Amino acid sequence: MISLSFLTGLFTFIAIVSGATLLIMIYLDNRNVRIDDGIANFRRHIDALSPEARQSSVHRNNPEDRRNQ
Amino acid sequence: MARDLAIDLGTANTLVYMKGKGIVLNEPSVIAVNRQSGEVLATGHDAWDMIGRTPSYIVAVRPLRGGAITDFDITERMIRLLLQRVGVSRFTRPKVVICVPSAITEVERRAVTDATRRAGASDAQLIEQPMAAAIGANLPIDEPVGNMVIDIGGGTTETAVISLGGVVALEAIRVGSFDIDAAIQSYVRREHGVAIGERTAEEIKIQIGSAEPGPQDRNADIRGRDLVTGLPKTVRLTAEEVRFAIDEPVAAMVLSVKRCLAKAPPELAQDFLARGMYLVGGGGMLRGLAARIERETEVPVKMSPQPLEAVVLGAGHCIENYQALRGMFMGTRR
Repeated sequence: MISLSFLTGLFTFIAIVSGATLLIMIYLDNRNVRIDDGIANFRRHIDALSPEARQSSVHRNNPEDRRNQ
Repeated sequence: MARDLAIDLGTANTLVYMKGKGIVLNEPSVIAVNRQSGEVLATGHDAWDMIGRTPSYIVAVRPLRGGAITDFDITERMIRLLLQRVGVSRFTRPKVVICVPSAITEVERRAVTDATRRAGASDAQLIEQPMAAAIGANLPIDEPVGNMVIDIGGGTTETAVISLGGVVALEAIRVGSFDIDAAIQSYVRREHGVAIGERTAEEIKIQIGSAEPGPQDRNADIRGRDLVTGLPKTVRLTAEEVRFAIDEPVAAMVLSVKRCLAKAPPELAQDFLARGMYLVGGGGMLRGLAARIERETEVPVKMSPQPLEAVVLGAGHCIENYQALRGMFMGTRR
């Protein structure tokens, strides 16, 4: 009886520790993703402002650019 | 499915850019309303022709002053008509990006977005005019270099330093080309005793107005109403007189450019000497203004190839790349 409750307690403890470790790992992983997201978002933002990206919208409406094409 | 739109809701002119199509509408920001019934009688060019020439039951007004909405109800109706004219219906609700002055207050900001949503937009985002102007003027704002843009509109003058896709320094005043027209009206009334309308004042500005003396200085005969006799009268105005009359608003514009230059970080200031500043907006087309700013700041000033369309083209680029450039909209910056 005593050994059974000891085993139950042990398994419960292991389950809690594993769960906590998993949560910490997920949190750290998400944090890394968020940092990467910031870099990717900024890159996307800057790329969207490049002259090549503006070719389709701004240049198309610019008569001088149309003449040069 | 409605195509998303970018709108430059200016004090003087309204331009609409449609995603995938380009500029689809460009007309004066004027609306003519029947005072008694509240009906809209005309908008744009038709309403502009009516300014100062309407019977008492019709009022032709510009619903924006200093870049801000002065009459919420009329502005909403104007936006609704604009959207209808470019094909927006009750069942097709586009996303709309609207260009507004950077000095706009929270209340004014809400007024513009509410008016746009009520007029039929599914989502209304705002972008600062100098930022949109820099994108539309093809400045290399994606690079870590100082880009300076001076946007002189009907009701505002905004100067911004932009680098790496963001505003570094900004200076905005509620003085624009309509203040130049008002200064001409006031001068002619004071010095010649003749009342002239705002359209005549604008014509004088375009014909003989200048910020610096030049070889193209001319005189012009203008017609108005004698304040003493009440009869029509013609007076001759010289370019020098007009320059004197408009000196106050022009000096305010130049001073705001100087203040923005003073706010810029020193690393970027050296870029201006090499690359110059860019003038956009209808007010920037005043003869000699670029030369005057250049003389007073000792920084080269260049005119954008499309001064009137630069702002809406920049906003149009944001609507074409809505997700990537969401961070540029007012109130969404992280």
